[in-house]
Parts: sequence; C-alpha cells; structure tokens
Amino acid sequence: MVQVDFKNLLAQRLAADFSRRNFLGAVGAGAATAVLGSGIAQAAEQRRGGTLKWAQLVPPDTLDPHFTGSLGSIKIHNNIYNGLLKIVYDGKRVGFAPDLAASWEMTDDKTHVFKLRPNVKFHDGEVCDAAAVKWSLERVKDPKTGSPHAWMLASLESVEVIDPLTVRVRYSKPFAFFPVAMNGATGRAGTIVSRRAVEKFGKEFGRNPVGTGPFKFVQWRENELIELVRNPDYFEPGLPYLDKINIQLIKEPTAAVAAIMSGQVDALDACPFQFMSQVRGNKNLQVFGEAEGNYAFLAMNTKRAPFDDPNLRLAVAYAIDRELLVKQGYFGDAVPAYTLISPPMADFYDPAIAKSGRGQFFDLKKAQEYRAKAKVQGEIAPVYVASEAFTSNGSSGSRNAQLIIPMLAKIGIKAKLELMDPAVLNKRTNAGDYDFYDAAWEGDVDPDETMRPEWSSGMPWNRVGYANPEFDSLVLRASQTVNVAERKKLYVQAEDLMMAKDAPIAVLAHMRVFKILNKRTEGFKYVPANLMNMHTVSLKA
Amino acid sequence: MLRALFSRLLQTLLVLAVVSVAAFWFLKLAPGDPVSLMLGAEYSPAAAARLTHELGLDRPWPQQYLHWLGGFVRGDWGTSYISHSDIFRQAVYEALPITLTLSALSLLMALLIGIPAGMVAALRRGGPVDWVVSSVAVLGSAMPSFYLGIVLVWVFGVGLGWFPTLGFVRPWEDFADGMHHLALPAITLGAYYAGLIAITTRSSLIDVMGHSFIAAARARGEPMWRVVCVHAMRNVLMPLTTVIGLQLGGLLRGAVMTEVVFAIPGLGMLITTAVLNREYGVVQAGIMLTALFFVLVNLLVDQTYQWLDPRLRRR
Repeated sequence: MVQVDFKNLLAQRLAADFSRRNFLGAVGAGAATAVLGSGIAQAAEQRRGGTLKWAQLVPPDTLDPHFTGSLGSIKIHNNIYNGLLKIVYDGKRVGFAPDLAASWEMTDDKTHVFKLRPNVKFHDGEVCDAAAVKWSLERVKDPKTGSPHAWMLASLESVEVIDPLTVRVRYSKPFAFFPVAMNGATGRAGTIVSRRAVEKFGKEFGRNPVGTGPFKFVQWRENELIELVRNPDYFEPGLPYLDKINIQLIKEPTAAVAAIMSGQVDALDACPFQFMSQVRGNKNLQVFGEAEGNYAFLAMNTKRAPFDDPNLRLAVAYAIDRELLVKQGYFGDAVPAYTLISPPMADFYDPAIAKSGRGQFFDLKKAQEYRAKAKVQGEIAPVYVASEAFTSNGSSGSRNAQLIIPMLAKIGIKAKLELMDPAVLNKRTNAGDYDFYDAAWEGDVDPDETMRPEWSSGMPWNRVGYANPEFDSLVLRASQTVNVAERKKLYVQAEDLMMAKDAPIAVLAHMRVFKILNKRTEGFKYVPANLMNMHTVSLKA
Repeated sequence: MLRALFSRLLQTLLVLAVVSVAAFWFLKLAPGDPVSLMLGAEYSPAAAARLTHELGLDRPWPQQYLHWLGGFVRGDWGTSYISHSDIFRQAVYEALPITLTLSALSLLMALLIGIPAGMVAALRRGGPVDWVVSSVAVLGSAMPSFYLGIVLVWVFGVGLGWFPTLGFVRPWEDFADGMHHLALPAITLGAYYAGLIAITTRSSLIDVMGHSFIAAARARGEPMWRVVCVHAMRNVLMPLTTVIGLQLGGLLRGAVMTEVVFAIPGLGMLITTAVLNREYGVVQAGIMLTALFFVLVNLLVDQTYQWLDPRLRRR
C-alpha cells in the first residue's frame, strides 16, 4: 500500500517533466525522441560566446546558499551551484528532476537514494562525490552552522555514503517537502557547496562562492556588479553558451527599466508593475511572467487589541475588494487570492476556487455582519505600517495600503498609514508594534513552504502571532503525507481553519513575477519560481 | 603663517570631531537597527540579543563611539556587517575615487558652460540670448538632481540612445568609455552649478561693467574681448569663487542622488545603502570622508582668494 504511494509521488513529480539532460538528447526513448528532435535542432543553432548583461533590482545578501534569505541571491546562485534536484516547468506544472543526481529513488517513504553524476567537479577542482554531498547537507543541519534553512533537515536522520557515487538520505518521518528542500533554487538546503572553499573562506564564503554550476564566480564589486564566467567543466554537455555574465546591481527601478528598454542590458530580474505596459510595448523585449507561487497578504496583529478578536479580523478579510486591488494596485498583473495555495502548485490549487465559496473574498455584507459581532464597536483607528521600498511586499510599495485603507473605512476602521524605511518596518513588525502591515511570501513551489514555516505557532516569520494547535498539526501532518490526494485534503482543512475562522491575515493576490529579456537572447527557460537560470541562454550574433 | 596653518588644522580636527559625534549619535537615534535586517528570517528575540551583543551594539553609544574612534584613527575602520569586507578599502580605495571623479567632472562641465553663458547673457543684457540663458540657468539650478537625472536617462538614454544610462566604467581603465558613461551623471550633477555659475557671472559682470575703470579701459581703445576677459572677469571671479565655494559641499549631496539614479558605486551609493542597512561603520566612514572633503574644499577656496586678490596677500 505504502509502496504505491511513492510510485504515485514519483510519477507525479518526474514523469511529466523533461529534465534538461533529456532535452539535449541524452535519452533515446521512442516517444520522447520525436518531441525532443526539434529541441536538439534548436540547441545546435544557438550561438556560443558573448557577455550577457543583466540588471538586478532585488539586492543579493550573500552568495552562500545555506545562509541567504534573499530571492535576489537565489537567482544568482542558481547559476553558480547545483542542487541534488532542480525545478522544471513544462508550461503547466512545476516539477522536480535530478540535477547533480543522475537518479533519485525512494526505497521507502523515509529513505531517498541518489546516484550521483560521475566526474563532477567544483570550480576549485575538488570532486563532487557522495562524501561532498554528505558534508554539505550536514553543514546545513549542524546547529553550529546556524543556517536559517536547517528546519528543512530537522527530521533528517542520516546521510550515508554507500559508494563514491551513491548517497542514502534517511529521514525519521516521511517528508513531502523533500524535493523542494533538495533543489538548488528556493530549497537552498540541498544546494551543494565545496567543503574546501567553505573551510578556506569561512565567513567570507558568501563573497567567494564555489559550486558545481554552469558559471564560476569571478568578483563582486559592492553596489556595482557581480561577474560570472563560463565553467568549461560543467557537467551538462555543451552548456552553457555564454562566456560571461555581468550582473549589474541597481537600486533605482526607473534606471533599470530604462536600461533594458534602451538595450544596455539584456535581462532584468524583476520589474515594478507600473512599468509593465511600457516594457510590453517595446518590440525588442521578451516578457516572461505568470502568477507564481506567492501571495500578498494584509497582516493583522493578533497579539494585541483590537485585532486579537477573530470577528474583527474576519470583517477586514471580507471588506477587501481584491478585484479592485488587482486592477489598481497591481495594474492587472495578479490574480485575486482566496487562500494561500497559488496557481503553480498544480496538485493542490483549485482553478475553480473563485466559485467554490472557500477562503476569503469580498463581501461587504458579510464584513458588516462580522464587524457587528466584534468586541470593539464604534470607529477604531489602527496603525498601518508600510514602506515605499520596491522589494518589501511583492513590489506594490504603499499602493496596497492606499487602496485598502478606504475599503476598511466602510466598516468603521479608519487606519492611519505610517510610511517608513525597510529597516524600521522590519524592526516594528518583529517587535509587534503595528496593527496592520502588508507583505508577500514569494518564490514557493510547494504548499508546505508556503504555509508551515510562515504560520505555525511560534515560528519567527509568523509575526502576527497566529497560534492554533489544530492548524499546526494539520500542516505538519500534511508535510508527512506523500500521497497527493490525502495531502491536499489536509491543506484544505488547514486553509479553511485559517482563512474562514481565525483570519490572522487577509490574503490579497497572487502576483505575476516578471523576467524581462532582450530579443538578442534565446533559450531562456522560464520557471515560475523566480529564477534566472542562464545556462541555456545564448546571445544572437 | 605657520600659526595660521596650525590654527586651521586645529579647526579642521574640531569640525571632524563634531561631525563624527553628531553622525554617530543621529544614526543611533534613527529607529531600526542592523540586527533585525541581518537576521531576516532567522529573527527571534534571543538571536537578536545574541547578535546585538556580538556586534557590541548593547553598549552605551558613547562607549561604542569611542571604540569606533579608537579604530578609526588607527586606520582600522572595521568590517561591513553584510559584505564582511574591510570598510577602509571599500570607502577610500573603491568609492572615494569614483565620487571625486564624478564631482570634478561635473564642476568642470559647470564652469565650461556656466561662465561663457553668463558672460554672453551679461553682454547681451535684455536680449533674447539673455532671456534664454537666464531661464535655462534658473531651471537648471532649480531642478532636483534625481528628477533631472531620470529625465536625461529617458531622453538621451532610452529615446535617443546616445548615452549609456547605467553602470560605471572607471576612466582610468578605459578613458573614452568612462567619459561616455559619466556624461549624463556629470550633466545631472553639474546642472545646478552651471545654472548658479551662469547667474552669478551674469549679475557680477553687469555690475562690474558699470564701473568707471571699464569705461577708462574702453576709452584707452582696448579691444572689447580684453576689457571683458581681463579687466572685468578678474573682478567677477571673486564673488564667483565665494558662491562656488559655499555650494561645493552640496556637490556631494547631489552626488548621493545622482549615483543612485545612475547606479554609480561611489560614496553616495555607499552611504545610501549603508544608511538603509544601518551599517553604522560604513555610514561613519562615508560621512567622515565627506566632511574631510568639505573642509579641504573650504581651505582651498580660502587660498584661492589670496591668489585672486593681491590685496589679501599682504596680511
């Protein structure tokens, strides 16, 4: 019985997805070859060489994947490192495929066996074998390391080297999040770093990254650029095409948009919504971007009055007109959110959720009913803290606040907006000194990472102080359930509890996340996980 | 002479000391701290307390200041919290030369445009040329640099495609490309000064041209260019130097905005980023360099007076 479940999982995860390696024609399986034929032809035409300039708006914090908290960094280090697995996308669903691993098997619901690719070397010449993988995973797990991603390996029991190219990873409980944790992108824990380099550079490793990826790190000039060059020994044959990547670090979005529009850079890692119509109107640009694994939300401080009252919070949740927010706050580049699970999580997302009656939605009558039941009657004046900074809340700056405040006025909540810089915002939300703030969780590919670390009781990201043991146990059980249908049921229960009963937050929207590339480039493979993977990209002559 | 120099030096040190205390104190007054930013997702009160202690941020600020000062005078400016790189190297070797280049180029451009424009306007007083120069000068000195920068980027970078709008090429590595990249930032930063210089030149020159020694020179039959450039302009340079000297400190203020708009990794960018990240050591380094620059410029302006006006030399 249990056996069937893994196959189900693996089938769901793998069969639908073509890996990069397959794409280059390393497989000869009948049906696949026909489809892949065109891929090979296209690949052969791509030109080698050249320097790609990419403008980066989201500031990277460190290039040590085991420490980063910035999606800006992940875009970059996904070009320098590999995970055991990688995220793939076929235009419909996000899945996982072996990356540093040549194969991935589950021998029981807690044990994963990876066969590694032979002859893979780190950029410093060290061999990336089973021992290297074991060391890297244990680095994340070791409390002395202090990695913020250690929770992904909390129930990791052992990593055994079976032979130089085989690793067995054992968990003490089944862990549905495993494929995400082991990928080199948002998972981070499964990104494999060079032991020799970590030992050599110590704390400076984040400025001197050494991985196995398609590009090698050259230099990071503070506030200016990060330079990468082609790794000639990269394990995917024929890749990458580019000789060099110059990542220009830019603070001012207008300047970055101007640079991509005038052709001074070939790629832009993110684009504020207000510029999208101009960017789309430019004939030289290709725009990639779909509603990704994310959600913006209005956080309510459940730890202090008046929002310690679920009725008042529910009133807020039903008073927000998400259609209007999408239109005016996101210029149409988002979809209304009803619950936490976003469209790319295809196994768990309900495309008909708008009509299901589940989750949170705009219903002024309902809002007024809950408002009438609230402990505090009469007008209240809560404090809404916000920042204009581009990166703090899914790129909507203070627009969400400006739109939401008048909506809440209709139910007698006259919020006061306080604008501040991100350092202050961060401090105040951490300290619980607010009534409302809006933020977004982004770059998620699995419901576990989109719900459990954010809203389980006592977790550091759970700044609203949401604490419901029933919710905690539902999401925990879901993370230990590999069967997709059963897991989905648990998430529905958890969401219903959180959205329609407790409402510590009001979900707002799932945003499109843009990657802009010049038409001089070809071969970019869009993955809705906020990635800028450049190994398949080439520049036209 | 020596005594004057010594008292000047003492003044300079005093100014720097006051600036360093004020900057340190103000930044401590600002809400927010580097700890919650550095911890990000790892934040917990316990982790924050531990890191605060590690960074020495739990000590009273005068003590933190003295610790910083002790290191500063010995050339140990500390390491950045985020990049873990040496602040002295980052500020003095990397950021400072860039800002100095940008400032010098802007000033040069402002002088080359402002003085001739002001002269022409003064000599054609009341005419259409005067009207155009005066209007443009007022506009140039009134437009905030971040706005002008963005306008220039969209017109000359995106619209016409004449200039790169982004990134920085060190002119000492590739002069032509460096200048090409610096053109728009230098115009942005220099516009205010060009306007100011044109306005000052115009009004001073009009004033000077009314003096009797000008009439005398013309009566002697000296050519007009000689009357203006030698006799009149010599007297315009004094008020001009005063105005430029007073405003030169503002060049650095403008550089902050300009550098952010054009993504130039100079002192302005360094300070902006550091303030947002509450990197106390980096902000302090940036402010000290700025203050030093300010003081040196003022010293230089004072010396220029003596050179320009022989009467001041015999003191």
